[in-house]
Amino acid sequence: MTTKAYALPSDLSPATVTNTTSLLRIIALAFISGAAIASRLFAVINFESIIHEFDPWFNYRATRVLVADGFYEFWNWFDPTAWYPLGRVVGGTVYPGLMATSGVIYKILHALNLPVDIRNICVLLAPGFSSLTAWSTYMFTKELKDESAGLLAAAFIGIVPGYISRSVAGSYDNEAIAIFLLMFTFFNWIKALKTGSAFFGTIAALFYFYMVAAWGGYAFITNMIPLHALALLLMGRYSSRLYVAYSSWYAVGTLASMQVPFVGFQPVRTSEHMAALGVFGLLQIIAFAELVRSHVSSKQFQTLLYASVIGLGFLGTLAIIGLTYKGWIAPWTGRFYSLWDTGYAKKYIPIIASVSEHQPTAWPSFFMDLQFLIFLFPAGVVMCFRELRDEHVFVIIYAIVASYFAGVMVRLMLTLTPVVCVAAAIAFSTVLDTYINPVEPEAPADEAASSEVNSVASDVTNPSTPTPVSKKSKKAVKDSSASSTTGPFGDLVASVTSGKSGKKGERSFGVFGLDTRLVVIFHAIGMLIFFVWHCTWVTSNAYSSPSVVLASSNPDGSQHIIDDFREAYYWLRQNTPETAVVMSWWDYGYQIAGMADRPTLVDNNTWNNTHIATVGKAMSSSEEVAYPILRKHDVDYVLVIFGGLIGYSGDDINKFLWMVRIAQGVWPDEIQEPNYFTRKGEYKIDDEASPTMKNSLMYKMSYYRYAELFGGGQALDRVRGQQVPKTGPTLDYLDEAFTSENWIVRIYEVKKEDLLGRDLKSANAFAQGKKRKRTKPASRRKALL
Amino acid sequence: MYLLPLLSFLLLPLSFVVAKEDPHAELVKLAAANKGVIPLDERVYNLLTSPKRTWSSSVQFTALDPKRRCSPCKEFNPSFNQVAKAWQKVPAEQRDTHFFASLDFDNGMAVFQKLGMQSAPIVHVYPAAEGPRKSPSGKTSPFTYDFSYGFEAGPLAESLSQHTPVPIPYKAPIDWGRWATVAAFGVIFAVTLRFIAPILQSRWTWAAGTVLTILIMTAGHMFTRIRGAPNSGPNGQWIAPGYQNQFGQETQVVAMTYGLLGSAILMLTVVTPYTSSPRRQRAQVYLWSFVIFIMYSVLVSLFRVKNRGYPFKLLL
Repeated sequence: MTTKAYALPSDLSPATVTNTTSLLRIIALAFISGAAIASRLFAVINFESIIHEFDPWFNYRATRVLVADGFYEFWNWFDPTAWYPLGRVVGGTVYPGLMATSGVIYKILHALNLPVDIRNICVLLAPGFSSLTAWSTYMFTKELKDESAGLLAAAFIGIVPGYISRSVAGSYDNEAIAIFLLMFTFFNWIKALKTGSAFFGTIAALFYFYMVAAWGGYAFITNMIPLHALALLLMGRYSSRLYVAYSSWYAVGTLASMQVPFVGFQPVRTSEHMAALGVFGLLQIIAFAELVRSHVSSKQFQTLLYASVIGLGFLGTLAIIGLTYKGWIAPWTGRFYSLWDTGYAKKYIPIIASVSEHQPTAWPSFFMDLQFLIFLFPAGVVMCFRELRDEHVFVIIYAIVASYFAGVMVRLMLTLTPVVCVAAAIAFSTVLDTYINPVEPEAPADEAASSEVNSVASDVTNPSTPTPVSKKSKKAVKDSSASSTTGPFGDLVASVTSGKSGKKGERSFGVFGLDTRLVVIFHAIGMLIFFVWHCTWVTSNAYSSPSVVLASSNPDGSQHIIDDFREAYYWLRQNTPETAVVMSWWDYGYQIAGMADRPTLVDNNTWNNTHIATVGKAMSSSEEVAYPILRKHDVDYVLVIFGGLIGYSGDDINKFLWMVRIAQGVWPDEIQEPNYFTRKGEYKIDDEASPTMKNSLMYKMSYYRYAELFGGGQALDRVRGQQVPKTGPTLDYLDEAFTSENWIVRIYEVKKEDLLGRDLKSANAFAQGKKRKRTKPASRRKALL
Repeated sequence: MYLLPLLSFLLLPLSFVVAKEDPHAELVKLAAANKGVIPLDERVYNLLTSPKRTWSSSVQFTALDPKRRCSPCKEFNPSFNQVAKAWQKVPAEQRDTHFFASLDFDNGMAVFQKLGMQSAPIVHVYPAAEGPRKSPSGKTSPFTYDFSYGFEAGPLAESLSQHTPVPIPYKAPIDWGRWATVAAFGVIFAVTLRFIAPILQSRWTWAAGTVLTILIMTAGHMFTRIRGAPNSGPNGQWIAPGYQNQFGQETQVVAMTYGLLGSAILMLTVVTPYTSSPRRQRAQVYLWSFVIFIMYSVLVSLFRVKNRGYPFKLLL
């Protein structure tokens, strides 16, 4: 008879307990879904139902085209207003999954006579899918441990800031649905592997296809699953279950993924996909060898067979390398390669290195996004090592790979977050299991000292216990505990906890006393509450800003909305002809196309580096050099973002060096980065700024008439914290057209050529009544200043 | 009567050629005598960068004297010399149209002052000002090499090749020491394979490796690697100011904190329940709970230092 730390109700029938637990599970999942959606609505409540940031504006615009013109038109959409004058084949250069998803939802709602605006569907798509992510994480974790860990994992991923950062309402980006697809594909893969079912393998392949259609990050699945399969092969865990699961996933998934036009024949032609193909081939060889082995008994023949398997695998690898070398298989693309060689992007593709979310991650970002999960994570991984079934191997590999990637690039924190939630939930629910279980062990006085050592030693000394055996023993434990006399509720708790300690089923373990239990459980609840506070604070303060609308607070604490972007974009929309070409740095291309509906030279789909470098060159050259470039590209308006007045740090002067660098990559003779620094090598905009800097179009457009705002006082740039020269720059080839309320957006009109054929500089000087001195051409410039 | 002017007329181009060839020949000689790097002083510098030059040149401005305490100069000098040496392999007709030269601060203070240089090392590339190699844009002012790619010879050669008549045939020397180390480790591995096989096959070896990797990565090791962040700041400061920034020591401290917290959780779940003496088990439970609470407080207060606006705190 076991002693118990606290009494359990013993008059419940087993059926009641089962039904109540499943009801509680459903209720808990419903609440988790509710919390996941609700916590993402800060942006809508604090601001309004608006599309956020940059890329979502393009997705939103594309979705509107899809809904208005139908899928066929969308597929063949050529957008002449982007990348003026080149245009963009949108249908073939886009991952259509996101737009198709909201299009389908829109059609369904309208078929039900629910006239929901497409914008609201786009805004609320990410929160909606986050509840599906929570559910699929629950399913995934359930396969690893049990339902209680699954519920914890679902709750974690529902509110963890690392995932919220990319899925708040209005953040209508590919990642919004991709994480759900990622987790659900992984769940189906695990399920297929566990059961050896081609059905689940095919489901995994179908969701893989959805993922391919939705996000470029599908390459993560394309490499994770082969890596897992390969690791299992190397551990000597080949099984027909693995063969069936992998083959069905790969065959169906690859064929399906090739139907996406943007992907096309990449699955057989690029290095990113070769791991999947190679492992597929290897599996076929091994399966064949296993087949032969089961029919042939000669020992020598088997040795020969193994040698030939290894030889064939080796040959296959060589063949892939050879094909890559010959150019039949494209090598790693720069984006992918820069994950391994971290200096690569900065050197060769500055445009990738210039994006802020491609920067490496410092530790505060990890803590901010994951809080206490970050230290439960390694503990959870160790617990995976204790069990080490096939699916645990998957989590371990995922943990290593994702934590490396998240360290290299801030944006890949998103792929790390699910595995952190899963591992942390395993660790946390083990703690709870151990300390909630009311069963107290017997206390044999004689082996008090040695048992602790034993427990560790037993784990270390028989590490290579084959899984089936440990599984069986666990089942045995479950069976035995089920037949004990602790009542149905106690059974449930005991069966949940017994999984951890299956190896020595008969040895007593557990926690003595009630106080110890209370200490740990209160502590755990405290940590959970702190986590919820943290998540709420981070979400409401850091991740819910639409970045189209900025918020500041008035002296009395009330919120003040800074709406300069929309003010300027609507000015463009209402005051310029529809064909007016707007030049800006590429960050704002999608927003201009979406909100102002005007053609742009470059946008966030950074496919043409030379075109971007052209804009960079125009921005970083003097007016005289930039003017022909502007005219040749039919530019009517130039838009710059300037934060100096209100201290908005993400402005163009802070991005300016990247423009210079990108332009330098194409025109190294004309643009040189060091020329934009002062003699001491500092980046300054005050009196000490270098002449090249002061003459650049970007500098002139940013600080044009800025000093006048201070009425003779010292003009201060609040972002850089530097004094702006009192005599500001002058413009001859551009005219100030519009400056928004807080000076964040400044729009300049490009002047047409002078009617009398003079160059605009002398025409301007003439208009100002300054007489041109024929004798000394050099003094012309002086007269202007 | 006519003969004399005629003769002088004939001699004129000759003398001109001699006068013009003279600095170039001198530079070629100097380069050949010094393994491709011309040691400059003020006179030779003016010769090399004369406004009528038909050649281009890469000039390293440096300060190698130990009393100048310029450690980057010492770090960079070998790279520059290697690239210059590689340039010597180019056929003479092209080689002699581009020179490598080095000006030490102690030999040409006047030049440093004239150019307003306040730091070293700096590499300038002077394009040809006249002759067939004059740049099409007519630019004669020097290019400055961008040190953001580091002090290695590879990127330097690649970057300078844009200004030389033919690309610099620089190949990174084979690092024999590294290959030898790899080979030695390979041999050691093969020999001891039989003894270490049980270790390699143990899941706990892999677990340790995995957990260490995870701890290091989540503590921001890759940030310090990629950004080349120093181990600690000036005057012993070990916490870098700012949320998006960190020092090498922070990685260690944070990884250790995470590790301690994680292992305390593990102790509570894996070890403590197997302790069969109630008294000792209770002590363990309280101990590890206390450790978690304290370390978590430390971690949060560390985070508050990095992120000033963070409103929560535990004990500390």
